[in-house]
Amino acid sequence: MKELLKELCLTDSVSGDENAVRELIISRIKNVCEYRVDNLGSIICFKKGRKAPEKKLMICAHMDEVGFMVTYIRSDGTLSFGNVGGIDPSVVIGRQVRVGKSRISGVVGATAVHNLSKEQREKAPKTDSLYIDIGAADKAEAEKYVSLGDCAYFDSEFTELGERRIKAKAIDDRAGCAMMIELLHEELEYDTYFVFNVQEEIGLRGSTASAFAVAPDYAIVLESTTAADIDGASGAKRVCALGGGPVVSFMDRHTIYDKELYSLAFEIAKEQGFPCQTKTMIAGGNDAGAIHISGKGVRTIAVSLPCRYLHSPSSVIEYADMENSYKLVKALIGRIHEI
Amino acid sequence: MDIRSTVVSLSEISGTSGSESKAAQLALGMLREYCPDAEIINGNVTGKFGTHREGLPSLLLDAHIDQIGFAVTYITDDGFIKVGNIGGIDRRLLPAQPVVVHGSRDIKGVICSVPPHLTSGSSEVLEMDDVAIDTGLTKEELEKLVSLGDSVTFDVTCRDLIGSRITGGALDDRCGVASILYALELLKGSDLAYNVTVLFSTQEEVGERGAKIGAFEIDPDIALAVDVSFAYAIGEEESKCGYLGKGPMIGISPSLSREISDELINTAKSADIPYQIEVMSGLTGTNADRFSVNRCGAKACTVSIPLRNMHTPVEVIDITDAEQTAKLLAAYIRGDK
Repeated sequence: MKELLKELCLTDSVSGDENAVRELIISRIKNVCEYRVDNLGSIICFKKGRKAPEKKLMICAHMDEVGFMVTYIRSDGTLSFGNVGGIDPSVVIGRQVRVGKSRISGVVGATAVHNLSKEQREKAPKTDSLYIDIGAADKAEAEKYVSLGDCAYFDSEFTELGERRIKAKAIDDRAGCAMMIELLHEELEYDTYFVFNVQEEIGLRGSTASAFAVAPDYAIVLESTTAADIDGASGAKRVCALGGGPVVSFMDRHTIYDKELYSLAFEIAKEQGFPCQTKTMIAGGNDAGAIHISGKGVRTIAVSLPCRYLHSPSSVIEYADMENSYKLVKALIGRIHEI
Repeated sequence: MDIRSTVVSLSEISGTSGSESKAAQLALGMLREYCPDAEIINGNVTGKFGTHREGLPSLLLDAHIDQIGFAVTYITDDGFIKVGNIGGIDRRLLPAQPVVVHGSRDIKGVICSVPPHLTSGSSEVLEMDDVAIDTGLTKEELEKLVSLGDSVTFDVTCRDLIGSRITGGALDDRCGVASILYALELLKGSDLAYNVTVLFSTQEEVGERGAKIGAFEIDPDIALAVDVSFAYAIGEEESKCGYLGKGPMIGISPSLSREISDELINTAKSADIPYQIEVMSGLTGTNADRFSVNRCGAKACTVSIPLRNMHTPVEVIDITDAEQTAKLLAAYIRGDK
């Protein structure tokens, strides 16, 4: 699953521009399930299990990642851009990016620290003041390589940190996609829908349409969520921790999760002897927000991977958490139908 | 020699001020192609070029080999590495920045980024004391590999931009080192107007310390500091910058020798090499400040390669500027003025 995760993370696909990752995913699943691509671009898969259940279960993850869109080419050949999804400008300034269809290299420049006033040095950057430099001498040269509306992507290596952790861009939510691809290759107990959603990062848009189309009774959302177990953070502010196992929340800013499914997750973890945790802050949100109020309502659980530095080019996870999330989801497929 | 690939290999090797040995060894190997007797003395790479003839003025050709970075100061119980800065670091761009900790082996890591809920929404710039590195290793594992004082650098791979521009880390001043090497390549077999000694000096970023002891040893009449200077980009003051792609920036300053500045300008004109004038009204902030007051004094000047985003992991230069700098140095040393 690690190699698959690497390939998925290194594929550039910002919200609304999911072609590359969609093609990669389809190439991996086309022989193991029925699938179709909906009008927004989400992939809806149906995997036959040993039994046809009474209730319909949908498992989903989103395939888009946060990134940038070129909004203007300045006379000096630099590119203005907007964020696609929520990105802190502090993780954008001073980074390498890839731009446009031909993925040319660029950098997000920063005024030399020597030339900043004392106040400027202490002031966090704003997206409006940032620009991408592709090395073009002027606008005409830049226009040969870049068009307005082109996306830009973090250029970040996929690296193992020590023996247990992984650093990459787009772990949110390619880790969920990787788990679904693996599950689709397994023999499943029950018929199950798997959906690879588009446009989560700009407001749960792909899942709004795909959940309506599938109209499930139950949904499991595979996600990544902010872990703040970093130096200087203590108590509840850590939210959740790497190595603490899959994160199952009772509530976030979009969803109050199904209580029975919530308890079931912890029960499974206890039975199988792997760690499982909840979030110690009510924060964030994911496709569950759109799914649980879709149609006549969907009983929904989110299984998230604790992830440090989410939405940055250097997101960090612990691989064991991914393996344990996988175990949890696999067990949930069987147990949900026993409720 | 291919100047681009020389710049890239020098850029991608580590050597923060005081821990230059890897970069210095690489540069020494490169320099020995031209100065077979080159050696490392007190950290500085130095070598005499060609046959020194009696009666010729001595000329020092310098670029600094060190780079900015961090030093490990502490390992926390949770396995985070705390660091202090070496040289001028822009703290605004540290969150989630990939780094390499140079312990008994290289260890990759990421600088912790504080999520918005911990800063109550306001995004503040990290204080140096709050910078922590996440390596995925525990304190016990780290203690076997990392010692306090070990150096840390940004983890950067060079990339080609459009045309002849490239981006990378530590181009300040490894592109200067590459320019000098290329100048020596151009000078092979030429008659020289000076007895040339090359110096790739340590600890420039913490106050031009390697240059001070290196110049003492060499005792030059003329000293050229080949460094980088600000290239115009958004956010910079145009009046204080040169431009990428418009050639080497020749320094003029009360602390520099106007005679040498003028000679360099004349050389550029007669050899048809593009150049830019960089006027500084006091000290230059380069090794030239040390050279001019070395021993009984030397005539010093700066020849700078324009560079954007100085001291960041995304420094940008135009390779043609490094080439033209080498051509200017070579023409000057041949005595074309």
